[in-house]
Amino acid sequence: MIELGIEEKSYTLNLGPQHPSTHGVLRVLLTMDGEYITKAEPVIGYGHRGHEHMAENRNYQQFLPNMGRVDYLHALAYNQGYCMAVEKLLGLTVPERGEFIRVILSELNRISSHLVWIGAYLLDLGAFTPILYAFDDREHILDLLDRITGSRLTYCFYRFGGAPRDLDEEFITGARAFIKRLRSRFGDYESLVTKNVIFINRTRNVGIITREQAVKYGLTGPTLRGSGIAYDIRKSEPYSAYPAFDFQIPIGSKGDVFDRYLVRILEMEQSLRIVEQALDKLPNGPIMADKVPKRLKPAAGEVYQAVESARGEFGCYIVSQGDIKPYRIKLRVPSFGNLSILPEVAVDTLVADLVAILGSMDLVIPEIDR
Amino acid sequence: MLKDKIQAALAPLNLAQVSDGDYSKTGYHLEVAAAPGQMPAVAQALLEAGCFLESLTAVDLRESFTLVYHFASFDELCRTVVRASLAKETQEAQPPTISRVYPGADWYEREVYDLFGIKFAGHPNLKRLLLPEDADFHPLLKDFGAEPKND
Repeated sequence: MIELGIEEKSYTLNLGPQHPSTHGVLRVLLTMDGEYITKAEPVIGYGHRGHEHMAENRNYQQFLPNMGRVDYLHALAYNQGYCMAVEKLLGLTVPERGEFIRVILSELNRISSHLVWIGAYLLDLGAFTPILYAFDDREHILDLLDRITGSRLTYCFYRFGGAPRDLDEEFITGARAFIKRLRSRFGDYESLVTKNVIFINRTRNVGIITREQAVKYGLTGPTLRGSGIAYDIRKSEPYSAYPAFDFQIPIGSKGDVFDRYLVRILEMEQSLRIVEQALDKLPNGPIMADKVPKRLKPAAGEVYQAVESARGEFGCYIVSQGDIKPYRIKLRVPSFGNLSILPEVAVDTLVADLVAILGSMDLVIPEIDR
Repeated sequence: MLKDKIQAALAPLNLAQVSDGDYSKTGYHLEVAAAPGQMPAVAQALLEAGCFLESLTAVDLRESFTLVYHFASFDELCRTVVRASLAKETQEAQPPTISRVYPGADWYEREVYDLFGIKFAGHPNLKRLLLPEDADFHPLLKDFGAEPKND
């Protein structure tokens, strides 16, 4: 029999870059002691396309389509963040109806993002049925957004100064019908998943993130709110038409995987409430600001604009030197900060738990890689 | 008010600038200028005031770099931007890392190193983050890609 030394007891395990639970090309280099993880190192950058470099080589309008490709699941929030940053730089004001249209579409997009997450995440945990329900619901949102924006995934819709196309009657009727439909489905989700004892055992007390850790790693979004911190840009730093609506920020109590799941489920109802109120209060008037110059040449200066995407805070930092091209654009993406805590959370867990933790962060890898 | 608290915490550090920002125009409540060497102390003061690191990046101003740190708070709306100017000629003068104060800065600093080639002194694991490990360029430098191709 061969005696194993201490070093030989531990071994390295590659999770990814091609692994079904990483939802994109993410590699996690694991050092294992038996079945337990002693060290986890995420290796990112496989999908790096150099968006920030592209930004410096094209004008402000030309960079707009890139936004839908950073986070493809909640592309409209990125559209909104970038448009708002440029509008701030130019001193443009969006008319009220334009803001309402943005809120309605962005919130529907947020729900569709959460639905993808629920389906895909439960698939990671071995539950096959929920993805069929979630994608069925999501299909209705995609049809609605397709009607207005003309695309189903990588949206490039908002313009500097407002929105280019108005909502029509069919969209409004369809959105109201969807709100009713999704609400009737929450009961199914609850009995299928939230009260499912196998799911609870897989997620309760797994991957706990404390408040102190959240501050040190700069977590945002549902990953943060699961730890009981009610930080949501829509409330904490109100933008667009959000102050006009009554909605709550759901938070968790323990900061484990289950809490992060619950926060997203509850958030969908809050998004429905926002859409409902926005449809009720939809003001008349123009959807685009007057006299938006065709050739944008913002004065020298810099601006930071944050919006709440489905994964957390998306910040758009633009430095202008008075040219038609941005001098520098930094995209502060939520998944980047959220993933950076993984080495700390993953230690002393099982690989199966790591899959549950990774999934609960709702990572969109192209967003991290940019 | 958090803003007063931050200002009071930064006062003993003798920073070049601590002034009110024009929030409606820039999104900043507080604008701070510091020397790169002061950053760990600034970060420590902001951590104690309850801020988190929102983003860390650099801007290549051709003659020099500016390191740009954004801090915000989960409890109260107050965004602080800290700028640290870094001369290009003095390659030896490396800015100290703040990843001991904010572990989340680890990746941000690696990204800045990756894209700009700025080395952070005392960083625990300063290697490429987004680009391949064998890459020999830093794409966000303004002179990157400026040389004519010879083929």
